[in-house]
Amino acid sequence: MASVDLRGLTKRFGSLAVVDDVSLRIDHGQLVCLLGPSGCGKTTTLRLIAGFLEPSDGEIHVGDRLVSSKLRTLPPEQRKMSMIFQSYALWPHMTVAENIVFGLRLRKLDRDTIAAKLKAILATTKLEVLASRYPGELSGGQQQRVALARALIVEPETLLLDEPLSNLDANLREEMRFEIRRLHDEYRYTTVYVTHDQSEAMTTADLIAVMNGGKIDQLGTPQEIYENPQSEFVARFIGASNVIKTVARDENHVTFGGVTLRVVGAKLTSGESAMVAIRQHDIQLSTQAPENPENAVKATVTRQVFLGAGRDYMVEMSDRTTLRIVTSTETAVPRGAEVWLTLPPERCRALGR
Amino acid sequence: MTITTTTTADTVDGTRGTFDWTRPVLWLFAAGLIVLVLLPLCWLGVYSVTDRGGHATLRNFLVLFTNPDFLDPLLTTAIIATASAAICCLVAAPMGWLVSRTDMPGRQFIRALVTASFVTPPFLGAVAWELLAAPNSGLLNQLFRFLTGAASDEYLLNIYSMAGIVFVISCYTFPFVFVLVANALDRMPGELEDASAILGGGAWTTARRVTIPLALPALVAGSLIAFLQAMTLFGSPAILALPAGFHTMTTKIWSLFQYPPKLELAAAAAMPLLLVTILLLQAQKFILGRRGYSVVGGKYGAPRLVEMKRWRWAALAFCLVVLLNPVFLPYFALLNAAFSPNATTLVTPATATLRNIVFVFTELSATQLALKNTVILGTATATIGTLLALVIAYVTTRRVIAGSRLLGFLATAPVAIPGIVLGVGLFLSYTRPPFVLYGTLWILLIAFLTINLPSAYQQLQAAFLTIHPELEDASRILGATRLTSLLRITAPLLRTGLIATWCFIFIGVMRELSAAIVLFTSQTKVISVLIYDLNESGDLAAIAVLGIAMLVITFAVVLAINRIPMFSTNAGTRLRN
Repeated sequence: MASVDLRGLTKRFGSLAVVDDVSLRIDHGQLVCLLGPSGCGKTTTLRLIAGFLEPSDGEIHVGDRLVSSKLRTLPPEQRKMSMIFQSYALWPHMTVAENIVFGLRLRKLDRDTIAAKLKAILATTKLEVLASRYPGELSGGQQQRVALARALIVEPETLLLDEPLSNLDANLREEMRFEIRRLHDEYRYTTVYVTHDQSEAMTTADLIAVMNGGKIDQLGTPQEIYENPQSEFVARFIGASNVIKTVARDENHVTFGGVTLRVVGAKLTSGESAMVAIRQHDIQLSTQAPENPENAVKATVTRQVFLGAGRDYMVEMSDRTTLRIVTSTETAVPRGAEVWLTLPPERCRALGR
Repeated sequence: MTITTTTTADTVDGTRGTFDWTRPVLWLFAAGLIVLVLLPLCWLGVYSVTDRGGHATLRNFLVLFTNPDFLDPLLTTAIIATASAAICCLVAAPMGWLVSRTDMPGRQFIRALVTASFVTPPFLGAVAWELLAAPNSGLLNQLFRFLTGAASDEYLLNIYSMAGIVFVISCYTFPFVFVLVANALDRMPGELEDASAILGGGAWTTARRVTIPLALPALVAGSLIAFLQAMTLFGSPAILALPAGFHTMTTKIWSLFQYPPKLELAAAAAMPLLLVTILLLQAQKFILGRRGYSVVGGKYGAPRLVEMKRWRWAALAFCLVVLLNPVFLPYFALLNAAFSPNATTLVTPATATLRNIVFVFTELSATQLALKNTVILGTATATIGTLLALVIAYVTTRRVIAGSRLLGFLATAPVAIPGIVLGVGLFLSYTRPPFVLYGTLWILLIAFLTINLPSAYQQLQAAFLTIHPELEDASRILGATRLTSLLRITAPLLRTGLIATWCFIFIGVMRELSAAIVLFTSQTKVISVLIYDLNESGDLAAIAVLGIAMLVITFAVVLAINRIPMFSTNAGTRLRN
């Protein structure tokens, strides 16, 4: 069984720790997304797992094998892994078929087996008619499928994907997301998927590890990450959240815009600074005072934009802090008008960090 | 901590257990390179500060800077180099601007002609100018006497003079300045000039206030290169200065190898050339390094051409008159000599003969040997050099081993070693145990390898940069070792680059004279040395034949390589004289 286990993994370039004490266990057959902005260390982590880089500290175990440590690193070719690269890395001097069977040829399989496997994978990835073309003659989406086929045909224990969809246009990207998930469910290899696109992570992953500054900021299922962000970074990075910086009154109340808000999430300490996250579309906006005064605040509209599917408001509190709100198109309030906001308590999440 | 090896079921289909040979092999290459480059320089340094008995002394340098025998060549060299650099700038800067920034007709044609003068070996140019402007027999002097009816001992031009040498050297050095200036102007975004125009600057104001200042660093850098080239050239001064009865530093160093050899003095005399070269190359790097401001940010359109109006044809005439000197006249003289019964008699259809060609290739015994040696050395140097440059370029672009930067530095270092200085260093290194190579082709192989390594390395490095490293990564993650990836993925992708590099080294070997001249023996003569010998014996027709053959091969290769997109920008500039 090929679980992948990172233990205190660290990679320093000079004095800069690009990957900083990362521990992560990926069970056999799981698909884990490393999600984060560029420069957060996610690609470095992936290249460490692949064996292209040697760790400065920590270990990587695959199944019961130790494959990377400070002292010895198993070269990539001995790891039974496959990888899909951001650039696809298709060899321009080989045809599609030659690209795909490269790994099988290296494994010295006999001709008939190779032909059979090639036929099967070409069918799965819908590439039959393109087999004798050269990569330069393919569209981006077709190249992407060749890269997938090339990586999958060797039946790897572990599949690594490095921003595999970032070079595709929006429609194709959406389609390929589901395709990757489908193939994963079909073959059940352990998969590590690196992306900076949260919706890509949401649709494909069993588990998401949100990375920031070389560390894993939060690990959880897509739903947990979305509904229960534990840090300011995750709240801002996943979904569109307002993060309110304020002062705690007690363990689940904060002061905001002259009123007291009830919040859920992390336990707060009275008198200390606190951060509360609330999504743009969770705030209710109305022109009249709501019946239930709990968590209701008065504000002034400073900007209103019609987006088609909704309206995007910028409002200002009496203390000059601003919030962004997305509402349905029905509520049209002009700029400068006074409005009432309701911040539902169960949607106001106090953040630990 | 060790890697836990478990059951056989755990091994990766037979790839486990193969030893990665790449690192030891790479270290071996690194060691070889260090010996190649550093050994001659070390012996050069050691010899320059020892006397005949092997004791440390500074007397060699004392002699060098006090004895008029050495001071005069030092001064002569300085004058020649400075004058040549100045002339090169005066001629090349306006030409570069005309070709790059104006609507002068025939701009591509002019560029091609400059490339032609670029790839002409300077010693061949010098011989051609002997044919044209030797005081008595020179074609131009004959024309002068014919037109003016002057007496037979009168002459207009004397190529065997300081002025003559400066002129001939400038002819084959100005392309360095031209290429740098034209490239800088080509790259300069047109918007910079448009911005000046929209603010009210007229065409000439813009040229004066924007274009020229932006091209100035390239011009200065070019003049430094021209200076270096003129300073370290051996062929032209040897052909033109020795008959005139004076020496430059390079010919003086060469004369110290004649019997009785004074190796210590030769080593000491090579030192100033080496130091000035290193210094000026550093200066050039510094000047060009600050040029960054001309390519700041954003996307730019094509440059706007200055309209020359009625001056267009005058500009073209100027360029053509300039190119008369390095291209039209010399080529004409060489062709004339090749087909004429007498090298300096104008050939007519009635007197045209193939006798010279027959003589050179069938009767002249030295040709066979020199051709054979040149082909052997060219092939061997090109093959080994390409391989060496390939490995170094791989190591430096992919940072495979620690110290790859040092390796890259060593590979480019020979740029700063003038050919004749390298010749001296190699002579000192390989006439003694443990490497006694003098008198064999090996020493020439090492010399040519060292000389051609920098450009080969730079060329392949550029080629490597066009190959995404993920192409190699993809092969490795699928189970290929580093070596397999290199052979199956990288090598095929580099093929055109490799072929181009191979050809350039071959041409480079064919043209090399200044190192070969101190390293050859009677059995290891090469074509360039043969040409020099033939000049000594006055066999100018034979030189013309050999020279034309050499030019044809060179042009064929340069043309072929210009068709490869990766190298289309000034293939000629990669040659080193």
